[in-house]
Amino acid sequence: MSPAKTSALIETRQIGKSFGKTIANQNIDFQVVPGQIHALLGENGAGKSTLMKIICGLQQPDSGTLFWKGQAVEISSPKLARAMGIGMVHQHFALFEGLSVAENIAFSIDGAVQGPALEKKILALADKFGLAVEPHRPVFELSAGERQRIEILRALLQTPELLILDEPTSVLTPQEADQLFDTVRKLANEGHGVVFISHKLKEVRDLCDSATILRAGTVVGSCDPRTTSPEEIAELMLGSREIKAVSTPRDTGGERLRIQNLTMSVDAQSLQIESLSLLAGEIFGVAGVAGNGQELLFAALSGEQLCRPADSIVINNEPVGATGPNGRRALQAMFVPEERLGHAAVPHMSLIDNTLLTNVTNPDIVSRGIVNRQRLIDNAGQISERFEVRHPGLKRAAQNLSGGNLQKFVVGRELLKQPALLVVNQPTWGVDALSAVRIREALLSLAGSGSAILVISQDLDELLEISDRLAVLHQGVLGNARPVHEWTVEALGLAMTGSEDNHDHS
Amino acid sequence: MITLERRANVTHWTSLRSIGIALIITMLVSVLVLFIMSDQPAQAIWQMLTFPWQGRRMEVQLGLVLQQTAYLATIAIGLSVGFRANVWNIGAEGQFALGSIGAYTGYLLLGSPETLWALPAILAAGMIGGCLWALIPAALRVTCNTNELLTSLMLVYIGGHLLTYLCIGPWKGDPKAGQAETYPLPDSLRPATLISGTELHAGLFILLVAFIILAAILLFTLLGYRLRVAQHTPRAERFAGFSPNNTVWMSFAISGAMAGLAGAVYMTAETGKLIQAENYLENFGFAAIVIAFLGRLNPIGILLAAFMISYVNVGASYIQAALRVDDSVADLIEVAALFSFLGTATLDQYQLKFTRTLRKSRGPEVLS
Repeated sequence: MSPAKTSALIETRQIGKSFGKTIANQNIDFQVVPGQIHALLGENGAGKSTLMKIICGLQQPDSGTLFWKGQAVEISSPKLARAMGIGMVHQHFALFEGLSVAENIAFSIDGAVQGPALEKKILALADKFGLAVEPHRPVFELSAGERQRIEILRALLQTPELLILDEPTSVLTPQEADQLFDTVRKLANEGHGVVFISHKLKEVRDLCDSATILRAGTVVGSCDPRTTSPEEIAELMLGSREIKAVSTPRDTGGERLRIQNLTMSVDAQSLQIESLSLLAGEIFGVAGVAGNGQELLFAALSGEQLCRPADSIVINNEPVGATGPNGRRALQAMFVPEERLGHAAVPHMSLIDNTLLTNVTNPDIVSRGIVNRQRLIDNAGQISERFEVRHPGLKRAAQNLSGGNLQKFVVGRELLKQPALLVVNQPTWGVDALSAVRIREALLSLAGSGSAILVISQDLDELLEISDRLAVLHQGVLGNARPVHEWTVEALGLAMTGSEDNHDHS
Repeated sequence: MITLERRANVTHWTSLRSIGIALIITMLVSVLVLFIMSDQPAQAIWQMLTFPWQGRRMEVQLGLVLQQTAYLATIAIGLSVGFRANVWNIGAEGQFALGSIGAYTGYLLLGSPETLWALPAILAAGMIGGCLWALIPAALRVTCNTNELLTSLMLVYIGGHLLTYLCIGPWKGDPKAGQAETYPLPDSLRPATLISGTELHAGLFILLVAFIILAAILLFTLLGYRLRVAQHTPRAERFAGFSPNNTVWMSFAISGAMAGLAGAVYMTAETGKLIQAENYLENFGFAAIVIAFLGRLNPIGILLAAFMISYVNVGASYIQAALRVDDSVADLIEVAALFSFLGTATLDQYQLKFTRTLRKSRGPEVLS
């Protein structure tokens, strides 16, 4: 093979990769030149992650060639990729829960820097890039946002020539994201190449100077995102599909959820809510950066964490603070947690068995401890039919579904029960655009039919789109709720970072 | 170069295939072992495979196999309950001993009855004995977060010593016996033999019924479901409203009761009395751990694995007698089976892929 005659840092030619019968990448031509911030766009399952895994040595292509600085190479391992100067920040974190931040970083960098010297380096980098971390804290105490900061830091510690960022901003505040963008621009100015994977077109247009768009494993276009309209890019990504959510007018009715003087503290997380009242037909949004008590708020509402006194949480006029999840489900309150795999669903279990997970006290499905298999299968079938879950078979394990389809499934599982109250954490995190639209539509129509919904989300656009009222959760404290039209993105961003007095006096 | 790649489709067929591969590996290793350990390897292999038809009466040999199968399967399915939920009870041997002690205690408490109608109560007492013994590590784990692997194992040795103590102390029987033992139960109380001349007795039938009941519970009820949920995802377990501590209690209670029942049946049917531990316990409780994993924690798998291991065990004793091949060959085969079954289990989820090119160097060199 002849060496390539381009100045590209990395170039892929006709890369192909398949898993069993699934084609993840097909004839992919892609290149990044030094100093470029190159966006890689596409829905979930479009093949972005696979392509990046090939570039950073995690997977080997079935066909095609990689060129690094003009020379054909085989990147046989991540270690080799790192040695060559390719760094990657993954969307899904690869951290040892039991180890501290510093230990996790020491593990992954191949250098000899250890102990205090490494800590100093970490803190210096963290300070430079505005990525606040505490080197001694064990990872299991950290939120998703804090974990991602570790991932970013450990890639930066390698001073890579090519840095791949896989949806890095999904858990950052606007201010933090801006700081990251400054970092990225600095890297680019110094001649580094950056690959930026994102679902958020706005940030791509702000940050990137070129973009490659993937759909179903192939390149469907490339453009300069600064001069191409978001509509055009979205159409390339999605094909020509409707992506506008429908909103339905709603009537508010009786009180479905009341929280008063709730104070709790579990492990490192604390939660403090003075008062909150949620009416039928209303969607209430809780904004905030990851790690500010969202997990605990969800657990407190779902009954996975109990609280005292029992009347600090009231669902459908019943005090439930001391009632577990199934007691609350009996009051027609349903819950959708953030983590699809491992919390909302058991990864290796079939969709049928996963349907049972939140139906164990549903008398239609379980009577006297015996599971009515046929009703369960019918139920699973109805969920996938009504919520357009594309799946390879109801008997197949949940982990075989794409993120978007599994999310539609775990949301649909609760919606099918027509809950009086629905609490959902991160309804569309890591979900492709079309599925996200479907999920939001479903939430809106549920509220339209008279249910109260509490949405915890880090996606501000989403909250602004579907919520009626909004409050910000910062360091475990839920600020004052205001109708959505009284908020601005800037005000939210400030409240989320605690820069503004959240308990306004007006 | 060979790499492991995650399968896109995981089906029953892939599982069956990897079980088949494991069986073949086990057989190859067994043949190899017999070649090394025997002067007449061909003879040994043939007799090992067909021993029930070698002796005078086939049903006697098969009876021995089924007898062992019953004990091993009963204990193993109980253990699988906990193993499914990541609760590691490895002390079934001790719970078996306490089941026997419990049964004997029941017999004494009932005032040494003679009639067969006392048998259910005696067996129930055995289940309670095994269950209570198993609840000790459960309580330690729930209250003090103690590692149940250690506590349940240590209780095996305490249970064994307790058994020996009872035989040489408070319940000491015939002083002229060659070993420490209690006075035997009256014959009228012992489960009847089903087929004369064989070891098949009504007690094994009771074990079979217990096995089927527990299998049905695991397969069709919410209890079985919650154990499967608990296996890998404690968060999903709590989300479904199941308490992890209750799972620990239940797993230990069920596995202890099953081992206890096996111990009670063993005492009433096989020995008719308690005997000092080293002459009484046959390591069923430990072999059952292997069986549970060979059977992949699946009831039918456990039954087949128990049969396979029993067949190997009885076959090994047969060729020891017939051909003077040391019966430790059974242990070697058991271990070979465990390794190959656990090893090939990976092939359920992953497939081997042979990549085309061999890399000479790992550096980022130019290929051309």
